[in-house]
Amino acid sequence: MIPDGRTPVFVVTGFLGSGKTTLLNRLVASPGFADSMVVVNEFGEVPVDHHLLEASEEKTVALPNGCLCCHLRGDLEETLIGAAMRRRRGEIAGFDRVIVETSGLADPGPVAQTLYADRALERDFKLGPIVTVVDAADTGKRNLGMEIAKSQIAAADVIVLSKTDRSQDFSEVENEIRALNPHARCIPARFGDVDPGLLEKSGIEKSGTDHVFSAVAHHDGGIHTFVLQFEDPPRKNLLERFLALLVELRGADLLRVKGIVALDGGEHVAVQGVRHVFDRLRPIANRPSTGLVFITQNMAERDVQALWRAMSVLKGAS
Amino acid sequence: MFLNMKLLSHHGLNGFGGMGEGMSMQLARDGRRILWLAHESAPKNFTAVDVSDPRAPKVVVQTDLPHAQMRSNSLEVAGDLMAVAYQVTKFGLKPAGFELFDVSVPEAPRSISFFDASGPHSRGCHQLWFVDGKTVHMACADPEQKPRNPKDDQVYRVVDVSTPAKPRAVGRWHLPGTMEGDDAPPPERLPGKFDAGFRAHNTNVYPQRPDRCYLGYIDGGIMVLDISDQSRPKLVSRWTNSPPYNGFNHTVLPLFERGLIVVSDESVKDNAGDWPKLVWILDGRDERHLVSIGTLPMPPVDAFKSRGGRYGAHNLHENPPVPGAWKSENIVLGTFFNGGVRAYDLSDPYSPREIAYFVPQAPEGSKIGAVQINDVFVDDRGIVFTVDRHNGGLYALEMKV
Repeated sequence: MIPDGRTPVFVVTGFLGSGKTTLLNRLVASPGFADSMVVVNEFGEVPVDHHLLEASEEKTVALPNGCLCCHLRGDLEETLIGAAMRRRRGEIAGFDRVIVETSGLADPGPVAQTLYADRALERDFKLGPIVTVVDAADTGKRNLGMEIAKSQIAAADVIVLSKTDRSQDFSEVENEIRALNPHARCIPARFGDVDPGLLEKSGIEKSGTDHVFSAVAHHDGGIHTFVLQFEDPPRKNLLERFLALLVELRGADLLRVKGIVALDGGEHVAVQGVRHVFDRLRPIANRPSTGLVFITQNMAERDVQALWRAMSVLKGAS
Repeated sequence: MFLNMKLLSHHGLNGFGGMGEGMSMQLARDGRRILWLAHESAPKNFTAVDVSDPRAPKVVVQTDLPHAQMRSNSLEVAGDLMAVAYQVTKFGLKPAGFELFDVSVPEAPRSISFFDASGPHSRGCHQLWFVDGKTVHMACADPEQKPRNPKDDQVYRVVDVSTPAKPRAVGRWHLPGTMEGDDAPPPERLPGKFDAGFRAHNTNVYPQRPDRCYLGYIDGGIMVLDISDQSRPKLVSRWTNSPPYNGFNHTVLPLFERGLIVVSDESVKDNAGDWPKLVWILDGRDERHLVSIGTLPMPPVDAFKSRGGRYGAHNLHENPPVPGAWKSENIVLGTFFNGGVRAYDLSDPYSPREIAYFVPQAPEGSKIGAVQINDVFVDDRGIVFTVDRHNGGLYALEMKV
């Protein structure tokens, strides 16, 4: 077993008025989530009721390659590193989980990137599940900000379908979600009443393969979702080069990449990336290989497959 | 304060919650898990706690010492036999040595025998190791010897208890130069305020290397002893950090599969007055040449030194080779007085990481305003048991990594 004592950072995102704060309040009121620290982007109209609450201003910048990315050592990094330091010094009681609530108009990608890209941060923290709250009763608002809403759904490990009490039939919104992200677990909820255990089990290290990594390819507008399977376990450095090349060529279009890959030496590694930032390949024990799930924009499955095939054929020359 | 550890229960041990450094689990014949605990000081000798349900521990027996100028401090259970150390506060007092008990009925420990180590230059036994039911390895004075300095009385001793009613001294070892009649010159002592003595502390022997004793020797560093002939232990190697550090090497924990040796110091002065007291990682691949490659990353001393009482390293979970105990080659747990109990990942021994801790609040009635976590034992369910040195008693914790 490889122990990992890092604190998971849950990201709760969702469009304006989707019910993020309601969900948050229900979560932190449950005994299993009492040991959480909550970071909100702003103190909104609906207050978050929790003893360990921090505010962090989102500062995102557009890089020349078109990626949105948190400012280097931005507010979120400072908030998290500061919290870890105060915890270590015994200045606060402690927390075993962080929940970051993004603003309604935020792409959750930069938060994930922050956790992969900052080496000081990754010593104490790791990305937990990205939870996207989707209002089952109101597609209209999402249509007003379609690109952000799509990014939020595409990035999700878990979709919480909120306000299901207001609608009898939410097949339309479910279809909308499945078209964008068939790999996410979808949980209907009323007034934020979600089983916290379902969220705990939804990170890449905890989730099963039954629904999360179903090998279904979808294409919705510019969004593609597919799974890259490896015929033979790849060499670690070949996989790293493949991912690096993808990032170099089309990092801005990699909305989410994740999976568990069996390497040729028998080791299994977790792969996680958002746009142009990837976590290092981390050994993971006792988990079956899933292939790599891609959620991309304007990048087709055949092109990614072709790149991998070409690199596999040419590997002998490296 | 917590990280990845959750309090399951806390037991004040009937108001006698000042605990020493003896924690040993018995898997009783009726299926119960009995945790035997040595008290730090009089009036209590030892307490047995049924921890079958770690959320609801129950005291099953608690015993008294014969007088107040002694303490047990250390005990070990092997099967249905328990050895309890007796140390006295003044040279020459009795009982000094160890007592063997039959604990087949945990509610009614029955004394089987007593090994007497009292004498004019003896404070008796401070710590013992007893895991195979046959041999006690201990830090104990030998009345046949006279230390050149009274602080150096407790040496490494081996006692055969294969016939429990008749314990028999088998062998001993001490740092050359510390006893009258030694050819070697006396060792150079640490400065007065840090001079705690050249004497044995923990005396660990494991079935992976039954011919080796891993010995902490207070101000003398640590030793690997060849005990293939228990009547004549021989020095294989010695590692010391003092000076320039401030002595009191305590526990030596070998991680056999990793080629590593973990060494803890003990902090013995309040307010971190003897800082730094650390846990050291040694490369032990060649037992003749031990190399320090790092220390465990403890919280900053400035944040803890003024919280009350001691802050610094002390006991480790020692992977005791007995049924019911948790064993790990990757994770090391230690106690740090007001720094609580802490777990470290040694997957990369050059870069150990803190992965869990729990620091209880100051126990009710604490005179120093802080907890003083003293010892730790982890069972094979992954339950972490830890005790307070002053009055907090027993804490049961779930480790979530």
